[in-house]
Amino acid sequence: MVKQKSWFQWIGVFTLALLMVVVTACSSGSSTATNTTAPASTDATASTDSGQPKDGGSLIIAVAADPQVLNPNYAGDRVSLTIDQALYAPLFQVNKGKKTFYLADSLDLSKDNLTYTLTLKKGLTWHDGEKLTADDVVFTINKILDESQHSFLRSSFVIGGKPVQVTKINDTTIQFKLAQVSPAFEAALVQVSPIPKHIFENETDIEKSTKNNNPIGSGPFKFKEYKTGEYITLERFDNYFGGKPHLDSVTYRIAKDTNAANLALQNGEINVKYLDPQDVSTIQATGNFDIQAYSEGRLAYLMFNENSDTGVLNKKEVRQAISYALSRDEIIQVAYTSTDYAEPARSPFTPDALYFDNDVTTYDNNIEKAKQLLQQAGVSNLKLRFIVSSGNKSQEAQSLYIQQKLKEIGIDVELQNMDSSAWSNKFVDPNAKDYELAISGYIMGYDPDAYRILYTSNESSNYTHYNNKKVDQLFVEGSAEADTTKRAAIYKELQEIIAADAPIYPMAYTKTIVAIDKKYGGLDKAILKPVVIFEDLSKIYLKQ
Amino acid sequence: MKSTIVKRLIQIIPMLLFVSIICFGMIKLAPGDPVLSFVTPNMHPEDIERMRQSLGLDKPAYIQYLLWIKEALSGNLGYSLINHQPVLQQMLDRLPATAGLMGISILISVVLAIPIGLLAAANRNRWIDKCINLLCYIGISIPVFWLAILLIYLFAIKLHWLPSVGMRTIGVDSFWDMVKHGILPCAVLSFGFLAVYVRYIRSSTLSQLKEDYVQIQLAYGSSPKLVLFRHVLKHVLLPIITLLGMSLADLVAGAIVTETIFSWPGIGSLGMTAVKGMDYPMIMGITLFSSLMLILGNLIADILYRFADPRIKSTR
Repeated sequence: MVKQKSWFQWIGVFTLALLMVVVTACSSGSSTATNTTAPASTDATASTDSGQPKDGGSLIIAVAADPQVLNPNYAGDRVSLTIDQALYAPLFQVNKGKKTFYLADSLDLSKDNLTYTLTLKKGLTWHDGEKLTADDVVFTINKILDESQHSFLRSSFVIGGKPVQVTKINDTTIQFKLAQVSPAFEAALVQVSPIPKHIFENETDIEKSTKNNNPIGSGPFKFKEYKTGEYITLERFDNYFGGKPHLDSVTYRIAKDTNAANLALQNGEINVKYLDPQDVSTIQATGNFDIQAYSEGRLAYLMFNENSDTGVLNKKEVRQAISYALSRDEIIQVAYTSTDYAEPARSPFTPDALYFDNDVTTYDNNIEKAKQLLQQAGVSNLKLRFIVSSGNKSQEAQSLYIQQKLKEIGIDVELQNMDSSAWSNKFVDPNAKDYELAISGYIMGYDPDAYRILYTSNESSNYTHYNNKKVDQLFVEGSAEADTTKRAAIYKELQEIIAADAPIYPMAYTKTIVAIDKKYGGLDKAILKPVVIFEDLSKIYLKQ
Repeated sequence: MKSTIVKRLIQIIPMLLFVSIICFGMIKLAPGDPVLSFVTPNMHPEDIERMRQSLGLDKPAYIQYLLWIKEALSGNLGYSLINHQPVLQQMLDRLPATAGLMGISILISVVLAIPIGLLAAANRNRWIDKCINLLCYIGISIPVFWLAILLIYLFAIKLHWLPSVGMRTIGVDSFWDMVKHGILPCAVLSFGFLAVYVRYIRSSTLSQLKEDYVQIQLAYGSSPKLVLFRHVLKHVLLPIITLLGMSLADLVAGAIVTETIFSWPGIGSLGMTAVKGMDYPMIMGITLFSSLMLILGNLIADILYRFADPRIKSTR
């Protein structure tokens, strides 16, 4: 038979040795990963800027997908919004109730509360050198209002059933006339980042325009290069009205797999990335990252479908009983590992909302009280169907916890796992009657009028089918009340009524966790912001 | 031969039509609504309906399919529901990355599998054969995503030899930079196929070694090495052509996972995004492209087989 040759043997030996090295390296890695449990910084404004600023350099931010469209009138996904934040400057921003002006210099309201006058800063320019004027703002708002242009923002500019009227007064002044008083109008305007009229004025369908592939904005960084599926690079815009940015460039690296992206972060191929609570200790163990947890103004909640065919959750006592059976602290532990990353929630409003009040009726874990309420409602041997989005680890863990806890008060929960699309379909379907429980979350922005669509009877997003005439009336009053003291009283009363009625069980105000390479400074001025990570990227610099 | 090829090429048209109907039907039957990916909580129902109309999703399914097929026949595979860019253009942009990854992976698998398979067969039941067998079992059973993470951890994080994401360093457009980025994804994609090919070559070689012509050559005093390389090898290699054609389906599936993990900008990762977002024009485009590739791959394998072994012509 064929004789054995030594060099052939060496191939086998080498391959085996390689595999052993790989396995050994892997096992040592897992021990490192569990080495630390130090909590991350939980304050978004925590200063990490010990080094001196230096101009130049680049920053690489991980994003989970390609952007859908680089045009702020159409950006609805997290990635597009994040990149647009660097490309297109907003008129102004509101953070924790504080207004920061960007393109705008001021926003004034008339005495009758029906006319807003916006004044732009002088000497604004687009990335291509053209002047940015009131014409661009008027053009942007009119395109948002144009039904044939399909902007996501349109409904925010239709107030009292009528579109807002926008007029140019002069090159830097724009007037907005409202059909009725609406303090929430400012929240609508916050969402606007003007697009250039000279680029888009002849486009019949701006959403599908090829000009979106080479965006011209007014933000701190201008478009340089997009390699589809790989990265998008922006370079410094020297004429940025807020001052020349420190960094030469910012790149958004598309990294779809979270585990691989975490490894790329550790390898220095990525400088900024969102983290899951479970990954914090591994990244922190490297000692190379500032880990910041900040509120996105998001509420995670258990939803009670009052419209289910059994009708059982129509009874307030049953909803309250379920609420009493649960413990927010345990839910936070199960889904978010600690209160560093989620705070117990009681109000249906989120902490960033105006007039937020977490001191409302609550249902703290009390099994005896829960059993008593069920008895009072005349309910026994209750069976509830709980829809769960498969693959959502946090939701799966919470649903198992809730199933276990409700068993203690005699409620049998049947978990129905379904893929995320099917789950979304069922959740938003107003006619879905074949389930009682679901977990979801919302981010509604800072103006409390936004919550109207969730809790007003017959509204599009009233998924729980909650119905309370007093609540409906208070939302109408709140939306048209210009006096802040009276408005505050209305929304505080609203929060209390909703909390007492328990159409949902508010679980936690969740936080977003971001890892930022320690070699970067200026984070306190860049301001960590919901959805888009940084409010002003021009302020970030490489430390010396 | 020519008429056979023409006949097979003509058969592709009804096959692709059938695939498109099945694929479209499955997308329509699947739960989920593409419009939901765009819905924000503060959107009014009329805005949602307007969006549905603008995407053409308000029409009955069969009308949507007929409109799609009409456009497809003129070379227009429609527009992505996610980013409104032409499907065909996006696929063509991503094609080189996938073709490179798959081509190199197949090449590596075949080039390495031949010596390793022969080595195992030549050393049947000895320790080296057992080691190779063990590695083959690992190669066949190891999940692609796990191997990928393992290799990234070792070669990128621990040793800092190779990059872990993307096809190039940002802003760098050099050949060597792309080679460095391609090593890990190619290694991952090749590993499973290498294992399959090695096992095939080993067993095929062993069965050939029992044939009379081998025994006669050895009896005449030919060296075992000569017999193995000059006579046995060509009998072993021939069926690999068919095996390669059949591997294309697995290769496409492997490329989807590998491209997603390594952020490789190919058709696989594009497909993954399309499935998540219910982007049915893109799903249709990618499915048709994959089917066409499989059909053509098998056709080419058949043709090559006939060239390599003219006896096939008469026996089929």
